Amino acid sequence: MQSKSSALADNATVLRYALVAPAVFVILMIGLYPFIKLAATSVQDITMFGADRSFQGFKHYARLMEDDRLWEAIWHTTLFTVIALPIELVLGYLLALLFLHPLPFRRTLIAIILLPTVISPIVAGATWRLMLDQRFGPINQILGWIVGREVEILWTINPNFVWPAVLAAEVWQWTPFMFLILLAALSNVDSEQLEAAEIDGAGPWTVFRKIVLPAILPVVVIAVLIRGLDLVRVFDVIWTMTQGGPGTQTETISIYAYQMAFREFEISYSSAIAFFVILILTVLVIAALRRVEIAR
Amino acid sequence: MTSWSTGWRLVLRLCLAVVVAVVFFFPICWLAAISLKSPEEIFAYPPVWIPETPNFSSYLTLFRDGDAWAVWNSLVTAGVSTVLAMVFGTLAAYAIVRYRTGGDHLAIWIISQRMIPPICVAFPIFLLYVSLGLIDTYVGLIVLYTAFNLPYVIWMMRGYIQDIPVDLEQSAMVDGLSRLAVIRKVVLPMVQGGFFATAVFTFIFAWNDFLFALILTRSEVVTYPVQVTGYFGSQSTFWSKIGAMSMLGVLPMMIVVGTMQRFIVRGMSMGAVKG
Amino acid sequence: MDRRRFFGLTATSALAYGVLGPSPASAQGAASQAVEAAKQYTGATLNVLYEAGLQPLDPKNFTGPMWEDLTGIKINVIESPVDQMFTKTMQAHMANSGAYDVLNVIPNQLPDLALAGALEPLDDFVDKYGYAEELDAIAPVYRDNQMKVEGTIYGLPDDGDVLIMYYRRDLFEDPENNAAFMDRHGYKLAPPTTWEQFSQIGQFFTDKYAPDIYGAGMLRAPGNAQYLFQERFRVEGGKFFDEETMRATVNSQVGLDIFNAMIAENDFMPPGVEQWGFIEAFNAFLAGDIAMTISWPPVGRWAAGYGKGTEALNWIPETTVADTIGYALPPGGRPELAVGFSLAVASGSQNKEAAYLFAQWMNSEEISLQRVQLPYALRDPFRTSHFESEEYRNRWPTAGEYLDTLKAGAETGLIDLSLIQTDRYEEGIRQALSRLWGGDDPQTILDDLAGQWDALTDRIGVEKQKRVYLDWASKPNAYPT
Repeated sequence: MQSKSSALADNATVLRYALVAPAVFVILMIGLYPFIKLAATSVQDITMFGADRSFQGFKHYARLMEDDRLWEAIWHTTLFTVIALPIELVLGYLLALLFLHPLPFRRTLIAIILLPTVISPIVAGATWRLMLDQRFGPINQILGWIVGREVEILWTINPNFVWPAVLAAEVWQWTPFMFLILLAALSNVDSEQLEAAEIDGAGPWTVFRKIVLPAILPVVVIAVLIRGLDLVRVFDVIWTMTQGGPGTQTETISIYAYQMAFREFEISYSSAIAFFVILILTVLVIAALRRVEIAR
Repeated sequence: MTSWSTGWRLVLRLCLAVVVAVVFFFPICWLAAISLKSPEEIFAYPPVWIPETPNFSSYLTLFRDGDAWAVWNSLVTAGVSTVLAMVFGTLAAYAIVRYRTGGDHLAIWIISQRMIPPICVAFPIFLLYVSLGLIDTYVGLIVLYTAFNLPYVIWMMRGYIQDIPVDLEQSAMVDGLSRLAVIRKVVLPMVQGGFFATAVFTFIFAWNDFLFALILTRSEVVTYPVQVTGYFGSQSTFWSKIGAMSMLGVLPMMIVVGTMQRFIVRGMSMGAVKG
Repeated sequence: MDRRRFFGLTATSALAYGVLGPSPASAQGAASQAVEAAKQYTGATLNVLYEAGLQPLDPKNFTGPMWEDLTGIKINVIESPVDQMFTKTMQAHMANSGAYDVLNVIPNQLPDLALAGALEPLDDFVDKYGYAEELDAIAPVYRDNQMKVEGTIYGLPDDGDVLIMYYRRDLFEDPENNAAFMDRHGYKLAPPTTWEQFSQIGQFFTDKYAPDIYGAGMLRAPGNAQYLFQERFRVEGGKFFDEETMRATVNSQVGLDIFNAMIAENDFMPPGVEQWGFIEAFNAFLAGDIAMTISWPPVGRWAAGYGKGTEALNWIPETTVADTIGYALPPGGRPELAVGFSLAVASGSQNKEAAYLFAQWMNSEEISLQRVQLPYALRDPFRTSHFESEEYRNRWPTAGEYLDTLKAGAETGLIDLSLIQTDRYEEGIRQALSRLWGGDDPQTILDDLAGQWDALTDRIGVEKQKRVYLDWASKPNAYPT
């Protein structure tokens, strides 16, 4: 593709930069300043009670190494991501298969399924809090009908149920996103190729591995990346459902960082956390992207 | 292939699809029901599913008190930022694909901007906005949402533009079209489906933002998710208002999905150009 | 947002209810002094931070328009959910944005905000505008505990929050119940004065009426239950810290006993009580589902039917206990003065003088008496004159008993723990309680809590925190004497 592109030489030198300039400018404006500010603040000493802007060394970074609650939050976030992501991907894929071929009311049904994705995570959290209310919510009631006796699960309080509760809300909201993207990708798979493979007697697994997967992989990678990054920074849903509780059992990085920055106003320490998190993510994502780019 | 679309397989698929749709739709129905319930019904045990007589007073109150303006604020900030992000993002994506501007580095840097958790940069942005006088303004939120959505737009559009055969553009240029005209007349029509699908999601992301709206607004441009959280009081929780305000935020989305689905579906069949 | 039309509407409906309307100003009152002095700022606008929900209806519909008529100063109310108020206040301060003029501050956050420099000292204003006398007439417990930080006035106590007990008089007075209870426990069935009695009475009612009626149901969601824990811990003789070393002593035997008792009590409360906040307990009481509850003062008014038919209260379910509600102090007789509000002036305000004058006027004898009687208001009586007001005492049949109970509570009440970074210490209690409901071992939870507090204290600075703690502990209503 590169050689072909260069064949399109026109006023390229101006345009190739002019076209990206507005986007890069906006991203830099919002992206670069905070980054520099974070780096600077994290080596000063700014709290609610005063600002010492002299260089303090890396004491806040040393502190975060020993901050168990931070590491717990990182662990929770990781766990949340690696559980939710595959569920959403698999469910999304199955749904996409279900809707791939003509179906009566297809468009209406798809529109309905898409709805959770388009509502605010705050609303989703509030909705699920209502749904899972031990007494006034329908979930325990429905479960009660199934098992034939009253169910009194304290979804957002019992440590054994709080993760399923939060995951349910998350998966409910974002599976449709995966579904939509995978449906689009699957529609693009060459049907002649599929038919040819079927005629050759290839099994479903072989067809999937040899034809479908390569065709949808680029889209899947982008979808996984986008959702993965969203999951890593999850805040709203958990905030409305549990505020990170019980204890700190559902506290994620974003919730902990929020507490530190906007409730305790430990500005320097929270900057160190933010800078540290951004650093880890940058390394991880760039490594992942490089692999993907090479794999293409 | 056709066997999936006939006979008992079709019936089975339809049943399954309806069940799935019900599962996904149910919580929203529950929310809608809450917004229409009487105070006694909200706190009834066992739960009341359908309010006996729909009670619209929460909606009336929201409009009368002016709380419903929050939906308008969301509409302005999400709408304008979507337009900006789509324009800037598509142009940038085109340059990255066709000129390979910045090579992989630029592309990777751009997507890396999306992975930054908003909370990490919220405080510096708050300080920046204070010094620029952008707190509690439309411009402030619009710029922010544009910036945060650009990486998504660029990456999605990059994928769609890559799929367009370069020959088409070449022949258009031989016909004497300028590069910008090519983008408008050849590229855009070909990626139209993907373009609108991306725009829809860009709009959704901005529409649903909570954290920045919470931190960067006070009273003038409060958006609907922030307004919703205002009803959780220490000595009063207005569940019916929470339901009603949420529904006011959800309804425009229903319209968006309903009307834009044509484009989303077209976006799905874009592979046709490959053949 | 244009909310002016709405003002007119609710103001009219409230007038029809017969509560509003300025009474003739007394010649030398602090209210009229404030008005006179404020007239020089005609045309100014004051930004007032209020908790979102019912609270801001007062400045928006009642005091705001009234103040504007009197002085020509506009009141612009900015609402924020209660857990965001501290954040918004600090954000504005750190950004030096001057976004707010008048603040509502939760009293136990006064030290944090004052030490951070976010609040304006008010002593000079109080002297200048002759407010000392009326300020002194605020019920002593609020005046002495919720006004000053290390001797300087930073807030005008403006809300008599206190967690008192509400009970079903019909159940307690039922002769059959009395006989059966006397049989079983050998003493008269009456509102409990100890937690042991509370358990026995609660269990008694649950045994008899459940699942229709449970013995008790109350604030158990960690954010609310922490206040009840703080109260019981001190009533039973617990101390939060060692006065010498500042080490946390919350994991003492007292703490453990209370944790175990709280868990045991849940057995006779409705299932799911662990997630009850204000609204759940309130609804259960209104519906007649529980015999006893402990909560904030609005429960006592609304459950009695006060304010019924008021537009702003149309979200409240129908009360079924209006004629049978009884008021009492909670077991132990030392109720928690949970939360509350003080009016403060933001140090970043461009209009401090006018801001203070508005606060003084709101807080004055004359105006505050009207404010605490607004049916939808969440401001609870906080002046001796409020408790004694003939007008208020005739609002509903048992209003007198209600006010007497609040007054008694105000005399013996215990103030919330208040330190540097109070929120983090409270967060510890909240998390401990949520672990308790989650089924963790009480002793482990308390040891963790103590460890968490010690680590916090170490980081803040033991000596620094100790000074603030001792200042707090020396207040008359910090620990029972």
